[in-house]
Amino acid sequence: MKFTSLVFKNLFRSRRRTVLTVLSIAVSLFVFGALVSLPSVANQVLADTASSVRIACHTKMGIAYPLPEAYKLKIATTPHVVAVTPSNYYAAIYHDPTDQIPSIAADPDNVEVMWSDWGFSPGGVEAFKRSRTAALAAEGTMKHYHFHVGQQIQLRGTTYPVDVTLTIVGTIARGPAPSFMLFHRDYLEELGGRPGKVDNFWVRADNSRTVPQVIAALNAQFANSSAETQCDSEAAFVGGFIGRIRVFFTLAELFGLIVVLTIGFVAANTAAMSIRERRNEIAVMRSIGFAARVILLLLVAESVVTALAGGILGAGAAFTVLKVFAVSSGALGPFAAIHMPAAVLLETLAAAMLIGVLSAYVPARAASRLNIVDALRLVN
Amino acid sequence: MNQTYAVELDHVTRTYKRDDFDVRALDDVTLRIPERRFVAIMGPSGSGKTTLLNLITGIDHATSGRVRVGREEITRMKERDLAAWRARHIGLVFQFYNLIPVLTAFENVELPLLLTDLGKAERRSHVEAALKAVGLADRLTHYPRQLSGGQEQRVAIARAIVTDPTIVVADEPTGDLDAVSAEEILSLLSHLSRQFNKTIVMVTHDARAERVVDSTYRLDKGVLIGTDVPTAVAGGGR
Repeated sequence: MKFTSLVFKNLFRSRRRTVLTVLSIAVSLFVFGALVSLPSVANQVLADTASSVRIACHTKMGIAYPLPEAYKLKIATTPHVVAVTPSNYYAAIYHDPTDQIPSIAADPDNVEVMWSDWGFSPGGVEAFKRSRTAALAAEGTMKHYHFHVGQQIQLRGTTYPVDVTLTIVGTIARGPAPSFMLFHRDYLEELGGRPGKVDNFWVRADNSRTVPQVIAALNAQFANSSAETQCDSEAAFVGGFIGRIRVFFTLAELFGLIVVLTIGFVAANTAAMSIRERRNEIAVMRSIGFAARVILLLLVAESVVTALAGGILGAGAAFTVLKVFAVSSGALGPFAAIHMPAAVLLETLAAAMLIGVLSAYVPARAASRLNIVDALRLVN
Repeated sequence: MNQTYAVELDHVTRTYKRDDFDVRALDDVTLRIPERRFVAIMGPSGSGKTTLLNLITGIDHATSGRVRVGREEITRMKERDLAAWRARHIGLVFQFYNLIPVLTAFENVELPLLLTDLGKAERRSHVEAALKAVGLADRLTHYPRQLSGGQEQRVAIARAIVTDPTIVVADEPTGDLDAVSAEEILSLLSHLSRQFNKTIVMVTHDARAERVVDSTYRLDKGVLIGTDVPTAVAGGGR
C-alpha cells in the first residue's frame, strides 16, 4: 500500500501518454468484448429458447420450401404428440422500412400449450383466440414502438405481398426474440388466397424422453411423399440456424484476439519508452536500496493499472453499447438479444490484466536489472 | 587501543573492459576510513574517485581485493543482500541531486523509508526531522523544479540521512552548484558530520572541501598517492 502513491505519481508524469494509452487499450478491449460476446450470446440464445419437448418440422429441401397444411392432422395423431401448431414466418415493416417486426403467423388453438414458457400476459391468450385479427406482441416490441394493448396497427409484408391489420390483445414476456409478433395464420391464409402452405410445424411431445421417438415417427410417416419432412428438436433447429453463421463468430473471436495482440504490442512499446526514459531514476532507486524485484513490481504495477483502467472503460462501454443496441434493435431476431455475458466481461478484464503484465514485464525486468553504475553514468 | 573503521579497502583493484582494452580504474588500493569522520577523496578526472565510491556503496564490484563497510564485508554479498544492506547502511548524495521529479521534497526524502517497516506517522516524523536538519522544513510540498540547485541538493542530503545510515557517501555534491551554494552544502555536510557523528565520504574536485573535512585521500590514475590528516584529527581530536 505504501507504494501505491509512487505508482500513481509515476503514471501521471506524462498525463497525455497515460490517457492515450488508456484510451487505446479501452477501444481495443471494447472491440474485443463486443466481438467475443457474439458467439457466447448465440449459445445463450440456444440455451434460453430451446425447449426440451418442442420439435420443429420443415421440408427436407430446406426451410424456404413449404409443407402442406394437411399434415397437421397426421402429425396430431402421432403417438406422444400433445400439440401441433402450423406456422408461417411473416417479415413485416411498420411505417418505415427500418421499423422491421419479425412475426409468426400461427394457428391459435394450442399456443398456450405449445409455448407455455413464453410468459403470455394474463387473459392475452383467450383474447388472442377470440379474434381473427388479434395479435400478441413481445414486450420489446411494445416498448420500442410505444404500443399498448388494444391498439390497432398495420404491418406491411415483405415475405408475403399482403398487409395485415392487427389489434394487440396481449404481450409475450419471454419469447425467442426481444421483438416479434404472433398473429393468426388463418388470417394470413385468407389474405393470400388460401394456398394451404405451412413453413414449419411446431410439435410438442409429451415428455423429453419421447422426442427422438416422435421425430423418427414423423420423418418415417412422410418419407417418400412429395414433401418429405425434416423434424428436429428445437435445440437442433435453432442450432442449425446458428451453425450457418458460426464461422463468422469464429472470425469475430479471431479478430478480437488480433486486436488485443496488436494493442499489446503498442502498450509494450509505450511501456518500453516510458521505462527507458526513467533509467536514471531507476538506477537511483536501486542505489538507495530498492531491490530489483521491487522495481520490477512497481513498473509492472503501473502498466497493469493503466491496462485495467482501459479494460474497465472498454468493457463498460461494450456492455453499455450492447445493452442500448439490444433495446433499440428489433430486426435481428434472436441476435437482437446481444449483450455482454459476465464471462466475457471477466475475459475482457483478464485480457486487460494480461496486456498490462506482458507489455511491461520484459522492459521492466531489463530495467530492474540494469547496471547501476552504467545507468547513472549514462545520464550524468 | 583498537581503532574501528567505517570503511576498509584491502588491495582493491577494479578493472573495466573497454572494447579490447582493460582499463584499471583502481590499482591495488588499500585504505582505512575511521568511524565518525568527514573525509574527502580527491584527485583529477579519471583518477578512480567515483569508482572507489561505487565500491564502498556496493553498486560496483571489485575485480580483486576486499571491501569492508562497518562490520560487513560487502565483496562477498549477493546483489539482493546488497540492496537491503544499502537501504540500511548507506546514504547517497549525487552530483546532479537525482531527485525523482514527480515527487515532492517530502516524498523524495520518504523514498528510502518505504523500504523500512516504519508506519506512515513515523515516516512523516523522520522526513520532517531530516528536512529540518537541512533547513528545508518549509519546502515539504515543493517539487524539485520549484527548488534551486542548492535546495535540491539539500533535499538529496535529507534523503541520504533520513534512514540514519552507517555512512553517508557524496559524489561531487558541489559539482553542479554555484560558489555560494557549494559553500552552504559543504558547511551543511560538515555540520551533519559533527552534530550526528556521521561518517561522510565525499568525492570532490572542490578545493574548498579541504577546509571542512577531517582528512583527505588523494588518488591519481587509480592509485592512492597520499592521505592528508590534519594534526588535530591525527591526534584523535575533532
